[in-house]
Amino acid sequence: MLAKYVVRRFLASIVVVLGVTLITLVLMDRTRGTYVPGIDLNPALRPEDIARLRTNLGLDQPFYMWYLSWIWNVIHGDFGRSMIDGSPVMSHILDRLPNTLELTGTAIVVGVLISIPLGIVGALRRGSKTDHALTVVSVAGFAVPQFWMGLLLILVFSVTFEQHGLPWLPSSGAASPLNGGDLLDRLVHLIMPATVLAFFYLSVWSRFTRSSMLEVLSQDYIRTARAKGMSERRVVYLHGLRNALIPLITLVGLELPGLVSGGLVVEVVFGWPGIGRLAFERALQYDYSTVMGVTFFATLLVVAGNLLADVLYAALDPRIRYA
Amino acid sequence: MGRVRSGEDRDFEQFERFLDKWSRRDFLKRTGGAAAYLAFMAGGLEFLEACAGGTTQTSETPKKGGHVIEGNFSDIRTLNSMLSSDTASNQVIGLMFDGLLNVKKNGDLIGAIAQGVPTISSDGLTYTFKLRPNVKWSDGQALTADDVIFTYALAYDPKYADVSSPRRGDLSKYIGSMTAPDPQTVVIKTTEVFAPFLGSHAEYGILPKHVLGNMSAKEINTADFNTAPSVVNGPFKFVKWDKGQQVTLARNDSYWAGAPNLDSYVYKVLPDSVAVTNQLKTGEIDIGPVDPSQFDSLKTADNVVMSEFPVPNFTFYAYNLDPAKLGGKLFGEKAVRQALLYALDRQKIVTAVFFGHGSVANSVEPPTSWAYKEKPQVLYKFDKAKAESLLDGAGWAKGSDGIRAKGGVKLQFEMITNAGNKQRESMLTVMQQSWKDIGVDATPKLIQFPQLVSQIVSIRTFDVFLVGFNWTIDPDEAPLFHSRNTAAGGFNGAGFKNAQVDSILDQAIGTLDKNKRKQLYSQFQDIMSDEVPSPIILFNTGIYGVSKRVRGADFGPFNQFGARPWMKDVWVTDGK
Repeated sequence: MLAKYVVRRFLASIVVVLGVTLITLVLMDRTRGTYVPGIDLNPALRPEDIARLRTNLGLDQPFYMWYLSWIWNVIHGDFGRSMIDGSPVMSHILDRLPNTLELTGTAIVVGVLISIPLGIVGALRRGSKTDHALTVVSVAGFAVPQFWMGLLLILVFSVTFEQHGLPWLPSSGAASPLNGGDLLDRLVHLIMPATVLAFFYLSVWSRFTRSSMLEVLSQDYIRTARAKGMSERRVVYLHGLRNALIPLITLVGLELPGLVSGGLVVEVVFGWPGIGRLAFERALQYDYSTVMGVTFFATLLVVAGNLLADVLYAALDPRIRYA
Repeated sequence: MGRVRSGEDRDFEQFERFLDKWSRRDFLKRTGGAAAYLAFMAGGLEFLEACAGGTTQTSETPKKGGHVIEGNFSDIRTLNSMLSSDTASNQVIGLMFDGLLNVKKNGDLIGAIAQGVPTISSDGLTYTFKLRPNVKWSDGQALTADDVIFTYALAYDPKYADVSSPRRGDLSKYIGSMTAPDPQTVVIKTTEVFAPFLGSHAEYGILPKHVLGNMSAKEINTADFNTAPSVVNGPFKFVKWDKGQQVTLARNDSYWAGAPNLDSYVYKVLPDSVAVTNQLKTGEIDIGPVDPSQFDSLKTADNVVMSEFPVPNFTFYAYNLDPAKLGGKLFGEKAVRQALLYALDRQKIVTAVFFGHGSVANSVEPPTSWAYKEKPQVLYKFDKAKAESLLDGAGWAKGSDGIRAKGGVKLQFEMITNAGNKQRESMLTVMQQSWKDIGVDATPKLIQFPQLVSQIVSIRTFDVFLVGFNWTIDPDEAPLFHSRNTAAGGFNGAGFKNAQVDSILDQAIGTLDKNKRKQLYSQFQDIMSDEVPSPIILFNTGIYGVSKRVRGADFGPFNQFGARPWMKDVWVTDGK
């Protein structure tokens, strides 16, 4: 039953990936014109140069021809070369992937580890001052734009701290330019961007844990457990939390593709050399092949993440069955 | 997921609005200083140049060792001098590869791999370069005339037609042959006299034939050398390029002019101009380009020295003069073109949009050029009354809606520029307002950069476009104003055709006599000031922030991006 479902979802996923990449290409093609990516208005360029460069990049073909050959190459594992720098798109993605995973992975783990206890506390002390304080913090975390929080942290913990002779945090990059790259150095660079990203996850997930917990705690079986004299601790953690976490797993699962794409804003603000910033920069430079490669990659992960969440959900919750 | 995405887009818009508002408030605080700005600009270029030299202190003895980190917002794209077309790449390439010649900050050509400027035959067709003896590649091989010929062959030899070099057009047209009578001599024969040759094409970094010589054209396009050069001939050697992060270079002890003072140089990629400001303040970077909006915030930082200088760059708008298009009907008459320029308070644009960093343009040649004429035939000062009387005189009368019209055609049009460039967007708004005041209805329209380029070089359905142009040290402006370049693909998208201008521009690149050229370009500037097919709004300036621990940074109009002959002498006071 489940296998059949997975196969059907997989087939649907192919359609989604094709659709997303085709739409991306059509949108980019609309802006293309006679422009050559990476070549600005340069008086030294002659019309024949531009024509030759376009031919070299395959830009003289209509976009559907370009798409067909692109798909053909992708099926054969070749993502092509960047139109800006000529290096393989896959090497760009693989170069950036570890940095992105480092950032988003840390943020998701920190987010989960902090949000669950916070959610439980909020649910158990519903209506208390602690609960209200937590509500304010999480609403703030959800409402405050990431770029703004990022800039604020940079202003305070880099610029102002440095000017007052306090220990300060580096404001951009994943490691120090010289002699950097050891664990401590990377950790120091990770603190601010990971905080911003984790703060966002944490606000969403702690609210979710709280409401899910509240709902579970009002169930009949919890009342039964209490009535038969079970300790409060066992009631909350054994019967309450385990049931309350099931929907959270879906939510975290849906965030898995965010491992790759979720940090875009944070990566841009903190100059973090990750996939999100790659996509952002290359889109601004009209590097069609790199944007297509990243889009394909990200779409694949979104589809896979959704599928994984659904399957996990089915496996964990006996009430859910797929027909 | 979808909801979060659109939230992020909104975030960006908010962010930009925040920056916009923030910088405007900063500006309001300083309007009192506007008078000081005017005085500053009136002080002219000598003053700016004096400022530019501010970080050089000759009384101190340079220290050896240490590093410099330079920040910038765009990553490099390639390290192959013949494939590069962007300033970031050219800047890093220039630190590893010397060309035949190099440029001083005032635009004077000096020898690099060549001992000096070449001897030129009396017919102006043959250039003979004498190379420095004993120039070596960093792997110990001698650099000879063969390397020079190979480098240029990539862009002119039909055998290498598939090399994606943006330099091919000029080089394949003008280079007839290149020969090496001996290993230290390069003779270039050109097909016709081409005055900009040395200024535009003698500075490309020379590439090692012994590394790339056996590759096919296609292999050269994707060679590992382009991302990690194994041998160099310049002051620094390649260490690593962490894409999206930084390029690290190290001292080349076998550099022909002597090893540089610094042990290492790092080119660091930053998110934006705000990050450059922050990191100059914290000392995370030592050198960085400063956006005019950030100037004041940095001026007060006690660890940074500012360096400002004029650059061979201007921002202009162009009328579509094609008689078959709407633009041709509106702007065909000189009176209309002049009136619109008179109606524009360009000083206000310089002050409000560029925070005073730039100067109102009075000519089509930038002031950095030796051919620059300070007072061409017609000078335009903001004069609304004159603008209105010119339009009245030409028969463009105001209708009941306040918009001028003639023969049933309203003086109503669209102005395009690329979205995302805040300064250009603001300029269009100022233009809209100023022209509205004289009964002209101009609407700004923002489009993507590739579309703007297509509009200029091929589609050409625009009425007015606004864009900026960077020039080399040569005053030739044929790409923009010669009627030949109205052909599809050319940059004369305005469709300006003037037989006299064509003949002047042709004569001026067809002689090597600098005095004669200067005279011709003087005539050219006079005609252009009268015709104003594409009025120049302002001449831009370059601004760099340099840490006080760095000595010897010698920025100027012509050596900020490409080869920086001064980089080898840069040193740091703390030796770190």
